[in-house]
Amino acid sequence: MSTERINRRKNGEQSKYFFDYSMLLIVLFLLGFGLLMIYSASSYTSFAEHQDAAFYLKKQARNILIGIPVMVMMSIIPYEKYLKFATIGYFLSMAVIPLVKTPLGESSHGATRWIRIPGLGMNVQPAELAKMFMILFLAMLVCKMGKAIRSPKGFLLMLGLPLPVVLEVYLLTNNLSSAIIIMGISVFMVFVASPDYKKFILITLAVVGVAVLMVVLVKTHPELLGFRGDRIKAWLDPESFAGDESYQTLQGLYAIGSGGVWGKGLGQSMQKMSFLPEAQNDMIFSVICEELGLFGGICIILLFVMLLWRMMMTANNAPDLFGAMLVVGVMGHIAIQAILNIAVVTASIPNTGITLPFISYGGSSIVFLMAEIGAVMSVARRAQRKNI
Amino acid sequence: MEENKRKRRQIFAPRMQKKLVVLFVIVLLAFAGLGARLVFIVTENKNEYQKQVLSQQAYNSVVIPFKRGDIYDANGTIMATSEKVYNLVVDAKVMTNNGKANKGKDNATREDLEKYIAPTMQALDEYFDLDMDKIREHVIKNASKSSWYVVQKRMSYEEVKPFKDAQAENPSIRGIWFEEEYKRLYPNGTMASDILGFTSRDSNGIYGLEEYYNEDLNGINGREYGYLEEDLTLERTLKPAIDGYNIHSTIDMNIQRIVEKHLLAFNEKQKNTVITANGAENVGCVIMDVDSGRVLAMAGYPCFDPNDTWNTDALLGTRMVEMVTNSAGYQELHKTNTYIDQNVIDQMDDAQLELNLQNLWKNFCITGTYEPGSTIKPFTVASALEMGAITKHSTFECKGSLEIGGYTIKCHNRDDGVLGLEAAVAKSCNVAMMKIAQIVGAEDFCEYQQNFNFGLKTNIDLAGEARTVNLIYNADDMGPTDLATNSFGQNFNVSMIQMISGFCSLINGGYYYEPHMVDKITNASGVVIENREPRVLKQTISESTSELIRQYCNAVVEYGTGKTARPVGYRIGGKTGTAETIDENTHKRHPDEYVVSFMGYAPADHPEIAIYVVVDRPNAAKQDDAKFATYLVRDILTEVLPYMNIYPTEEMPVQTEAPKETPQPTQTPVPAL
Repeated sequence: MSTERINRRKNGEQSKYFFDYSMLLIVLFLLGFGLLMIYSASSYTSFAEHQDAAFYLKKQARNILIGIPVMVMMSIIPYEKYLKFATIGYFLSMAVIPLVKTPLGESSHGATRWIRIPGLGMNVQPAELAKMFMILFLAMLVCKMGKAIRSPKGFLLMLGLPLPVVLEVYLLTNNLSSAIIIMGISVFMVFVASPDYKKFILITLAVVGVAVLMVVLVKTHPELLGFRGDRIKAWLDPESFAGDESYQTLQGLYAIGSGGVWGKGLGQSMQKMSFLPEAQNDMIFSVICEELGLFGGICIILLFVMLLWRMMMTANNAPDLFGAMLVVGVMGHIAIQAILNIAVVTASIPNTGITLPFISYGGSSIVFLMAEIGAVMSVARRAQRKNI
Repeated sequence: MEENKRKRRQIFAPRMQKKLVVLFVIVLLAFAGLGARLVFIVTENKNEYQKQVLSQQAYNSVVIPFKRGDIYDANGTIMATSEKVYNLVVDAKVMTNNGKANKGKDNATREDLEKYIAPTMQALDEYFDLDMDKIREHVIKNASKSSWYVVQKRMSYEEVKPFKDAQAENPSIRGIWFEEEYKRLYPNGTMASDILGFTSRDSNGIYGLEEYYNEDLNGINGREYGYLEEDLTLERTLKPAIDGYNIHSTIDMNIQRIVEKHLLAFNEKQKNTVITANGAENVGCVIMDVDSGRVLAMAGYPCFDPNDTWNTDALLGTRMVEMVTNSAGYQELHKTNTYIDQNVIDQMDDAQLELNLQNLWKNFCITGTYEPGSTIKPFTVASALEMGAITKHSTFECKGSLEIGGYTIKCHNRDDGVLGLEAAVAKSCNVAMMKIAQIVGAEDFCEYQQNFNFGLKTNIDLAGEARTVNLIYNADDMGPTDLATNSFGQNFNVSMIQMISGFCSLINGGYYYEPHMVDKITNASGVVIENREPRVLKQTISESTSELIRQYCNAVVEYGTGKTARPVGYRIGGKTGTAETIDENTHKRHPDEYVVSFMGYAPADHPEIAIYVVVDRPNAAKQDDAKFATYLVRDILTEVLPYMNIYPTEEMPVQTEAPKETPQPTQTPVPAL
């Protein structure tokens, strides 16, 4: 690597050398802020359960410490080298996901979504791995297909290839949210790569149609959809739907509503006192809103917007298609996950377990997200300074 | 797959860049929508949600129980106290972590639940004797509900401590709370039970001092609670409990112990003699400080254990009571002819048991009424002397009987001849009394009865004093026969406390002190809240009359009917009484059931204490024998006087012949009618 850098310097590329400090700053800020909020949101329950108020804080700090070298490494490696792993990664994720059904599978939160890495004592969520490799695979695919992507066949192939992984994630790990995210990333990337609009409008209409159908179905035949049906019911009318499903949604809304414009102050959340389930995890945004108010919530949204804007700029200035698509994929990942998380917390969509990128507690998610950021930085380093 | 390195790189075409911008705008719109949604949630529902959040906070209040005040005797010995006890509470929701032992989103499996249930159950089983299956079933069934399940009540600190230690060490033991409350404790068991009464679980005194001083003894519960400030911040406040006041009684537990010992001994000796029952239907003894009205001891038999009030064993040997509707349509307590044994208890239903226990819990010394008999004679003589109807030189001739109003009323003494006042009292002559009453006249006689508080309450500070206003005559409806029988203590009813309070005034120079049980009331930190000084209510008779009465009463013990009451080495005074009773069922005079009594004082010349013993229907073939009472007085005083530092004044007889304990019917005088 170092020789390459020296070569590049010799070739006079140094003037084009760019490091996206603002993106790094935003990411580091989100991570640091996440730690703070995890501590605030979890200290009460974590002390009750583990006799250690900083239990989740420590684990998350450890995860970030693992993530930082990963991110640095990813940003140093020239992203072209990733190409080697694109196809392998695709099949690797398909191979790894079924491991949750083996004795290596680890249960938590009532679902088996983790794989224990023997010897390390750590658990990895294969769905997070799949997200990263799917981005890599599709970026590679877009480059490979070139203009073929315009044909209906190429279009269907682009959207069809992620399906096995999506179905595995949904069926084997019973993780609808990750399946939706992977599918969403795919659509996001294909949308950028394909010149077409019509098909995507049709897809959007189809998704909306299915959603309406689900709602109608839930209203007429409530028993058909199982616990997901309950979640939809809880979403439609959280206050009159008694039960655990609406409980979390309602408690999240109470937290946001009670925070007001400026919040109750850092650490002053009342809802985290065992009323709000998953306060340090899926529901952390509501604790942010409760403690820091509408102001804090909007600031976080703005930070995500800035981060995505930086990524868009990086993509648009990427030296080649592969790099750009890589960034687009990561951008899609973060955008979809952030939007869905905030949408769940604000009861804009039915409840499904999605973490807020960089801020929510969660080991696999943080490490893989940081790896993805490393990849984006690797692309950014080589960006041609056109509009940056 | 090998990568294909191209010399010319594919570029991110401008149309793609455009699409990315479009996508970014869509993402931006989505974020904007979510931002708007946030603004909507906050502005629309801010107050409602704020209150919602606050309302589910723990500003539910926790009651901190007060400690009910202690009751002490005159020496500071504890008669009643309150001990902190612990109720074991199982909280299924906490034990199972709201039904999701691992803090999961979805339904937890049974194994998850066992994470906390198993160690908790094991610890419970180890340290307590509980029905574990029942608790386990409750926990599983109510895993996600908040449920406060009191498993075992009122355990002592010693019982609870080992578990609490284990709980502190093992964080897996969850959802077990201890609710604190106080339990009333009477360390002396049955002793002074009639005086004390007892306390219900909700700190309400029932009978005795506990009821009379209920409000003083009870404190105010404290509270730990949260409340909302005006700016909707939550404050938590602790308002400590205010413990109840302590009561310092006039009772001396040492004297009380002596009295109760002898009452019990009497019962042991006399029970099952004729009928299978207690030694007497009621035995009562009151000892009072002559010059202050302070009650030093007050005891009745049968008694009960205030720690275990519902124990039916205490009923054994008592006469069963029932509730009947009388001719006027009122409910009336009625004595049956059944004496309670275990068979009877087994056959009684709950209501009957309760009725009989309630009857048992009463304090005979203040609620029992009876015809006093000859112990009233000093009152009759004192009244007549005081109003000048007779003088100390008056004499009366007894011919064994007197005809009044068509009835011939006999005297137990045949042909006493001419008697002076002293002899009339000492020999307990009925004829002399009747003649005195005739001279006094009904109006003045009744006035003097009032003067001695007969028919009125003494207002002793104990709950449940009998109302006797309908049990005496008033001048208008008192015929000559009534007057005559009243003069020697028949045909009207009194309570023990009335008799002894009046008697104290007869012998102490005429000062009628309000009888009382409590010297002072202090708060939990010992500060005196109230001092209850002796209260002279009135002067019943003059000093000189009092002196005469003492002389006559001394004669009773010296050579009259009360010789057997005298403790060795002491001179005492007093008066015996043997009264007929009215049959509960027929309301006619019973031919062979009597109330025998002795009312006395010691020392004879300067009385310090007065003692009154009543034996209501002794369990004996021949009941009309005052020795049932005099022996009790003698035995009690023999121990009480030295304890009170009242020294013997008489020479101790050298003879060793033990006083005859058994009443000998052949030697006893005929009863007072």
